[in-house]
Amino acid sequence: MSEIERYIAPTELAEAVEVLGHGGVTIVAGGTDLTPQINEGRRSYDATLMNIQRVRELKNISLENGEIRIGCLVTVSQIRYSDIIAEHAAILCETANCFASDQIRNAATIGGNVCNASPAGDMIIPLLVLGVSVELASWKDGAMQIRREPLNKFFTGPGKTIRHENELLIAVVFDQPSDNFVGQFRKSGPRPALEISTVTVGIGGDVRDGKFENVRVAFGAVGPTPMRGTVTEAALEGKTLNEDTIQAAVLAAGQDASPIDDIRATTWYRNHLIGVFTEELLNNVCQN
Amino acid sequence: MSEQVAFQHIEKTSLIGKRIKKPDAPAKATGKTRYINDMVLPQMLYGKILHAGRAHAEIISIDTSEAEKLAGVHLVVTAQDTPELRLGFVKDNAPLKNKIRCERDEVAAVAAESEAIAAAALKLIRVDYKDLPGVYTIEESQREGAPVIQERFPDNKSLKFEFKAGDLAQAEADSDIILDDTFNVHYVTHCCMGTSCAIADFDHNGKLTIYSQTQYPYNYKMDLAPALGIDPGDIRVIQPPTGGSFGAKLDVYPFEPVAAILAQKTGRPVKILFDREEEFINSPTRQPASMHLRTGCTKDGILTFRAADVEMDNGAYTSWGATVPVIMMRTTSGHYRVPVVDFKGQAYYTNNSYAGSFRGYGNVQMTYATAQHMDMLAEKLDMDPIEFRLKNAQKSGEYTPQKSYLRECALAECLTTAAEASDYVAKLGKYTDDRKAQGRYKRGIGLASSIHNAGGAKIHKSDGCGTILKMDDYARVTVITGASEIGQGIDAVIGQIVSEELGVPVEHVTLVNNDSDLGPWDVGVHASRTTFIAGNGARRAAIKAKKQILAAASKQANVTAEELDLRGGFVVQDKDGAVVTKLDKMLRQMHFQPEPDVVMVSDYYEPNSEPEGRDHISDHSAAYSHAVHIAEVVVDTLTGEVKVEKVTMAQDVGRVINRMGLEAQMEGGMAFGLGFALSEEMLFEEGRLQNPNFRDYKVPTAPEMPEIEMHFIESDCEEGPYGAKGIAELPTIVVAPAIANAVYNATGIRFFNPPMTPEKVARAIWEKKNA
Amino acid sequence: MSVKTELEFTINGRPVNIEVPVDMTVLNLLRDMLDLKGTKYACGEGECGACTIEVDGMTINSCLMMAVDLQGREVMTIEGLSKGNALHPMQKSFVDHGAVQCGFCMPGMIIQANYLVKKNPDLTREEMKRGLEGNVCRCTGYTKVLDAVAAVVGLRG
Repeated sequence: MSEIERYIAPTELAEAVEVLGHGGVTIVAGGTDLTPQINEGRRSYDATLMNIQRVRELKNISLENGEIRIGCLVTVSQIRYSDIIAEHAAILCETANCFASDQIRNAATIGGNVCNASPAGDMIIPLLVLGVSVELASWKDGAMQIRREPLNKFFTGPGKTIRHENELLIAVVFDQPSDNFVGQFRKSGPRPALEISTVTVGIGGDVRDGKFENVRVAFGAVGPTPMRGTVTEAALEGKTLNEDTIQAAVLAAGQDASPIDDIRATTWYRNHLIGVFTEELLNNVCQN
Repeated sequence: MSEQVAFQHIEKTSLIGKRIKKPDAPAKATGKTRYINDMVLPQMLYGKILHAGRAHAEIISIDTSEAEKLAGVHLVVTAQDTPELRLGFVKDNAPLKNKIRCERDEVAAVAAESEAIAAAALKLIRVDYKDLPGVYTIEESQREGAPVIQERFPDNKSLKFEFKAGDLAQAEADSDIILDDTFNVHYVTHCCMGTSCAIADFDHNGKLTIYSQTQYPYNYKMDLAPALGIDPGDIRVIQPPTGGSFGAKLDVYPFEPVAAILAQKTGRPVKILFDREEEFINSPTRQPASMHLRTGCTKDGILTFRAADVEMDNGAYTSWGATVPVIMMRTTSGHYRVPVVDFKGQAYYTNNSYAGSFRGYGNVQMTYATAQHMDMLAEKLDMDPIEFRLKNAQKSGEYTPQKSYLRECALAECLTTAAEASDYVAKLGKYTDDRKAQGRYKRGIGLASSIHNAGGAKIHKSDGCGTILKMDDYARVTVITGASEIGQGIDAVIGQIVSEELGVPVEHVTLVNNDSDLGPWDVGVHASRTTFIAGNGARRAAIKAKKQILAAASKQANVTAEELDLRGGFVVQDKDGAVVTKLDKMLRQMHFQPEPDVVMVSDYYEPNSEPEGRDHISDHSAAYSHAVHIAEVVVDTLTGEVKVEKVTMAQDVGRVINRMGLEAQMEGGMAFGLGFALSEEMLFEEGRLQNPNFRDYKVPTAPEMPEIEMHFIESDCEEGPYGAKGIAELPTIVVAPAIANAVYNATGIRFFNPPMTPEKVARAIWEKKNA
Repeated sequence: MSVKTELEFTINGRPVNIEVPVDMTVLNLLRDMLDLKGTKYACGEGECGACTIEVDGMTINSCLMMAVDLQGREVMTIEGLSKGNALHPMQKSFVDHGAVQCGFCMPGMIIQANYLVKKNPDLTREEMKRGLEGNVCRCTGYTKVLDAVAAVVGLRG
């Protein structure tokens, strides 16, 4: 049994990052992933428990100079009801609406959902579609250093990321999508939200003169990490969305994904849903 | 005041059929109610059990020394420290085990000063196991040389049931169509929102008070005592408010005697409370079964026979779960007119979890098969499905081959009412045609019906309930009943019935129950019996009290007692409601007269039914009821998701008593069937549960609930209180096959093995398309 | 034993000053230290909603939230919804519509229902179902619960 020797609740970001630099820190934010993981014995506390919920600057959504920035402590509910997000990245609102339950949406943070790195983490899919980067802050030589990494390079395995122990994921950032951007998200049911996804698919890109450009495709729960569907993207990039393109994309999606059997679904069903959802979302894009 | 009332007349009114609020609802809605889970007794210790977590093993050694050393630990016990005492339906179970036969098995138990300490102590217990080859399916259990699970049952065979009527060979020869299918019904569990809990407390005279969630407090004493080696008379059972039961609390489970053993040895109250994962793994399930059903009929659509061969996975210990054939066979031999019946049921020991009683008790399983066969026959006959069912529907006055007497039978009325209300026949035809058309989403409509006991079920020698009723000088009524309140609403119903008889406001009736030292005997909350049995008991007690009061009043008013009535808190003239005197005044006069008397009556109501015998030929319930559900679904043929949009129900309720409570039972009961049909399934891998949580065991949530339309058919049951029948299980029983029939209507595919999960449905549709 | 920290917050309008182990959940703080047992444990992982409370006007699962996170915040539990013995309109509606059976999930259900109606007084039945998706009830089949919430919405409209 691990015991917490020190509790700290910084109000300044720099302080939080500095504490992290000492190592042996468990970070708590919304608690929606951490608490069950501790209870089930899948995780134990480090010697220092740091509650970052009082760092106010991490709770904002902003749009500045064409860049949208979502602080790591922004809750899924905040995203769901954000005017900025609704106007520029509606796919995030749609996904937020299919995330767990009202109570969890009110507590779960975007930073937590990303750092938890679940292959089935719903919010990660639209973030991949939006091409976001994450900002990782660390303490070096008496000052805070920030590096940016693209989200599609962030995940290395179930629950594993390139974030170092001394780094705090402080925000996700992305360029304001163009006015031609169309993004679509689909998650398996039958419940509207309170489901650990069997398969999630996200597709986004700019529709210009009937062509689909800057396409990003993302899949959840079909591999060890949430992933970009590069084969599918290639099948769609610059193409006119017609029946042939869509069918080619469906085939490509099957190549991208490498799902496994588990208690939630068989490989067959996951592969089947990937095709069904890819086709469904592309048809939705066509209708937009 | 008295002059004023002298001129008053009070009309006769009735509360029966009205909407009565549950008296305990306000306290529950404000969080004031202390459930058993919330209780803390002075000096109380917290017990926790080490479960085996493996399916079949010998225990080589147990070392509890480290656990005993942990600060705050008062006691660690194992089977070595307790006498060899037994529990269970055939006494094949024990509170603590010497050998592991299933994942749930209790290896050791700790009593400590907090739950956290108890949990930490469990981790310090070292157990050395020798794993044994396991038996995880019925086929494996039947195999020559299969590992033996219970030494007393070397062939791995547990309970067996048989019923035969008529000449099967002749019936087969007379049949133009014979359907032959096997239906496999799966493991589901109750998922009571309040997890399992017991608090045991011995006094210095050796008497055990056990705070329990049990649904059958009086028999519970008898079942618990042998596991402790004490006399049943030395047990007091108190049932605090509990977070749901649904049949789960109809057996004694090992954690209950374990709590008592810990309490006995420490001299302190001990509470054992499961967390959700413990609840999933260590609670009873619905009895799973493989049901081989054959149904025959003539080309004119007359049923000729039903033959059912039911094999059950008994799990490691025999519980009430394995007795479900008692009800399965009533459905096989009834439900529609079946002249020839051949029913066999056999349970086989395995190293899986073991079942228990569960709302719908065997009938959820059997009706899933029989109601689909009725649908399949109608289609084969190319006959109007309602006409086919009506041809075979039993009528009032008929007997089933098992001698269930259908004194009032409203099956035909249920069928026509539900069919007309939902436009069933027209939709069925339209959706059948639409099946061939293009389109991702397919609609379907399906009908199912069943029969269930509605006047108790005499599985014990008595199916009765005792009632004590007293009135005080202020005309307040106290009813002490054997019937337990576990959330189902007998508190409202008894208040309503007593109020009806004694002409007092329903708020003036106080129910005292859920304590075996206070209440007279009752069989328990099961078999849809409480309104029928305890309701009758309360009514009879109230009538006795009324007679006593009116006899006293008649002397005073110089009229016969028959000419008087009790209304609105007054003694009145029956014919015109003219007030004679105030009721409370009358009661005081009775009390403070030269020959004082108080109103204090008792009653033991025994329903007019016959005990279930070994031959299973008896009228085992005082009434039977039928229900019809019609489900309308939309199937996403690509994802396989089945959305139930509407359920139209028609049920013979005898007579509506508390309309609000009745509706609530219909809705909640249906939700259980919905989960069974579509989403709930316990997944076992070599006897170990893989989904012990609400993430992966999916109970229905609000968005999944369909619109419900209810039609109550009032057949006016001769034996029931005001004509009422028991109602609470049929809604769980009938909806799943209605959904299965609707999914067939939408897709042309039969699902013999529920649940109809999205994956299963999608796969079947895909395979049919790509065949 | 894990280290403790001192917290100040308000609960049902009253200030609380208490020292808690830093690894304690809000649910355990309420039930075990503050004797507010109206809030229920039923799953411990945010899948059933029985432990729903309001924190700063937003509902959360108290089984998932760390007690330390309550510093400086306003908490409302089911005990804070009624005033004295007078039921809150939402509670009364649940009672009047027969939405309470065993009642175990009701404190969480009522807190969530009240939150939904506060947030959107024109709630539709579909929105109610979605808003109550995280509250599991095993007795009622939700129908009477939805009737009860709908009646409150109707009263306000």
